[in-house]
Amino acid sequence: MTNKEKYNQVFMESFSVSSDQLNENLVYQSVPQWDSIGHMGMVAALEEAFDIMMETDDIIDFGSYNKGVELLAKYNVVI
Amino acid sequence: MKITGKENRQWSRLGSRATYGQAILMLAEINNDIMVLSADLGNSSGLDRFKSAYPDKFINIGIAEQNMIGVAAGLAKEGSVVFASSFAPFISMRAAEQVRMNMGYMDLNIKAVAIGSGLSMAFLGNSHFGLEDAAIMRSIPNMTVVCPADCAEIVKTVFAAAEYPHPMYIRLTGAVGFPVVYEDDYDFEIGKAVQILSGSDVSIIATGSMVYESIVAAKILKENNIEASVLNMHTIKPIDESALNLVINKGKPIFTIEEHSITGGLGSAVAEYTSSIPNSPTVNRIGLPDEFVVTGEYRYLLEKYGLVGDQIASTILKSLNK
Amino acid sequence: MNTNELLLLAKKSRIKILDLAFKSDGPSHLGGGLSMVEIFSVLYGKILKYNIESPEWKDRDRFILSKGHGVLPFFVALHYAGFISEDELYTYKKNESDLISHPVMNMRLGMESSNGSLGHGLSMGVGIALSLKKKSNLNSRVFVVLGDGECNEGSVWEAVMSAAHFKLNNLVAIVDFNKLQSDGNSETIMDLGNLEKKWESFGWEVCSLNGHDIEALVDVLSSLNLTDRPKVIIAHTVKGKGVSFMENNNTWHHNRLTLTTFDQAIEELNNS
Repeated sequence: MTNKEKYNQVFMESFSVSSDQLNENLVYQSVPQWDSIGHMGMVAALEEAFDIMMETDDIIDFGSYNKGVELLAKYNVVI
Repeated sequence: MKITGKENRQWSRLGSRATYGQAILMLAEINNDIMVLSADLGNSSGLDRFKSAYPDKFINIGIAEQNMIGVAAGLAKEGSVVFASSFAPFISMRAAEQVRMNMGYMDLNIKAVAIGSGLSMAFLGNSHFGLEDAAIMRSIPNMTVVCPADCAEIVKTVFAAAEYPHPMYIRLTGAVGFPVVYEDDYDFEIGKAVQILSGSDVSIIATGSMVYESIVAAKILKENNIEASVLNMHTIKPIDESALNLVINKGKPIFTIEEHSITGGLGSAVAEYTSSIPNSPTVNRIGLPDEFVVTGEYRYLLEKYGLVGDQIASTILKSLNK
Repeated sequence: MNTNELLLLAKKSRIKILDLAFKSDGPSHLGGGLSMVEIFSVLYGKILKYNIESPEWKDRDRFILSKGHGVLPFFVALHYAGFISEDELYTYKKNESDLISHPVMNMRLGMESSNGSLGHGLSMGVGIALSLKKKSNLNSRVFVVLGDGECNEGSVWEAVMSAAHFKLNNLVAIVDFNKLQSDGNSETIMDLGNLEKKWESFGWEVCSLNGHDIEALVDVLSSLNLTDRPKVIIAHTVKGKGVSFMENNNTWHHNRLTLTTFDQAIEELNNS
């Protein structure tokens, strides 16, 4: 699986969204599952998938599907 | 309610409050009688998902904890199983008389849930700490006081509480990252202690967040070839006297450990019972001193007051003058 | 201080509040703090009588922050007033610090009471006001700031009733009416209805104003001339005032600044 496929899979599973929703409109609280609890689950799943530990600031700034791509680059994960 | 290690690790990452919210959401799927109250701390109790899934079963009473317990009494009298949550001092102290009249005295089916008890409120300080709550709640007749050891036990406690037709004070210690004690499913029963570790040299009895720290302490004691038993006494009232009898009969020093004042909590309950048994071993109470504590990060505070595994081990070693 | 100086103090205070919160490296009650900046600037910049050399001066005005979690504007006001030094200010939320998320009684630092549990401060204010009268201290007054959500607590109304009963014309309450509380907007959680009428029906003299209007605050607070009853100022405010993405955005009730949100907020304030 490529990094992008892994990234998308985490999003689809964490927030029960379909692949056509994986775009700039997918932002925090834009789907019911992306609430504070869902957010922590998604971050934990990404950390496990890419074997990284995200900093608190990045976890808080992680407000959208697109922003995630930008943030993961800081951990040498190229989506 | 069955639990698995994997679930427990996920809940642990969410922390005690969010786990309580998740437990209520799962409970609502199988129990139609529950009503869930909050005093303007619905979000802080992890109840967002429950609120949107079951809006007619959630009541926000605003910042009015005394009113919340009274309203809970009306709902319980009419047949609901009521869960009412807030921060520990606001329920157990501000609304203590409402708890006494409406829960104890009338034996109504209300579960007062204290979120963020112990020192977990960190920099919010003494106005928010729950360090005397078990002592106060335990002193009221008819009250059952339970302090879950980890997130899985929070879920088990919530489900057991729904089937236990009596007033309860459920004291949630720990924060985000509440350490896992149970890797596998186990029998949970209100009023019945759980044997975590057996060991014949010293008897540790712990509750809430201190169960995990006691396991850590026991490992260190083992390295000093001292076998420590660890008993999880999640129910501080009614205390499990048969379990205590077994501990007393071993004749080894007893150490109680709680993230609570040493005045009136688990230690006092164990000491009260043990002192009535002739030739019983000493009861050493490890907990918070009888003073208003300093403020800091949660972990810093646990270490400041000697409530972390390695400190507990050295306290026990020193006491056994090893 | 004149109005312009107070405006500058308010702007400076907002910037200091954000810097303090950011450097504390954890969540702070930013929304409900920013809504009270003008109130604190006017109180400590012009209205309150105090003496930083002798904080227990008997003729001082007594100030109680009943809305305890509003410490950010309080500590910053005490800093600019001279009670709290720059170094001590930045011990905020450091382990074992005297400056935590709620006031802890400390006369040296200008804090008359410990707060944090809501609905306690006004009762203490009533007691102090009563004592001042019995000691025939006609100079000192008592000022108590409450939150609007705090007015859900029954204990507040016990204090409100008793203050009128005791005809305490040396007691002033200020309610930070920002219409939001921890779980969301107050109207849907526990509707306070017409807050002015409630206080009035309990026998208080009521004044309603825009809590961010420095001139209005100065005008009312410098000409209290109370007759035989206490006075309440219902200050209509905006939670998170001064930072666009925080205004009326309740996720900032208790939240942590990141480098990005901090930089954005500071930039806005510098250009305001």
